[in-house]
Amino acid sequence: MSFREKSAWIALLAYGGVFGAYFVALWRSWDPAIGQPLSIGLLVAAMVGFVIIVTALTIIAALLNPSAANAPADEREKLIDLKAERAASYTLSAGVLLSMAGLLMALNGFLIANVLLTSLVAAELVKAGWQIASFRMGA
Amino acid sequence: MPIDNEIRRLRFENGEMTQAALAEKVGVTRQTIIAIEQNKYAPSLEAAFKIADAFGVPLESVFHWKKD
Repeated sequence: MSFREKSAWIALLAYGGVFGAYFVALWRSWDPAIGQPLSIGLLVAAMVGFVIIVTALTIIAALLNPSAANAPADEREKLIDLKAERAASYTLSAGVLLSMAGLLMALNGFLIANVLLTSLVAAELVKAGWQIASFRMGA
Repeated sequence: MPIDNEIRRLRFENGEMTQAALAEKVGVTRQTIIAIEQNKYAPSLEAAFKIADAFGVPLESVFHWKKD
């Protein structure tokens, strides 16, 4: 497995695990009466946790194969990155349109912010998933 | 993939050159050499010339375009 495939797996697991847990916790703490639970601390904890997990796993992956970690991406890896970025941009665009629809429906700001965060996380998951699938299929 | 190649045979004829050694000469990852060898990825013209150069043969001895 190449270093970049490992990086894609790290991103997939970190985004899926950390923000999956964040959204589950958010769902459970949702109070229909208030409509907006106190989740700034939860969001900060998720982001800090995400950075720590990604940094730690990336350092471990780099230590296991330092030469691969320092090598620049080759032409196939760059092409896979570009295609994955394109797929991710479609996902993000769909999320932005959904958020705009939410604004038109006068949803509260907290909900809109989380729809945007969901779009961002979904876009990163699509990117990592696309990269892994491409690397696995040899494309 | 409309482009076929002789990389596996050429590696054999060059002292069973490993995919890693070829990747090192071409400046790509071993996974990219595997993808090219299995006709899953068509290399750029520059990478194709580098592969041919690694075997010391002309480009057309390594890659063939299948018209149909």
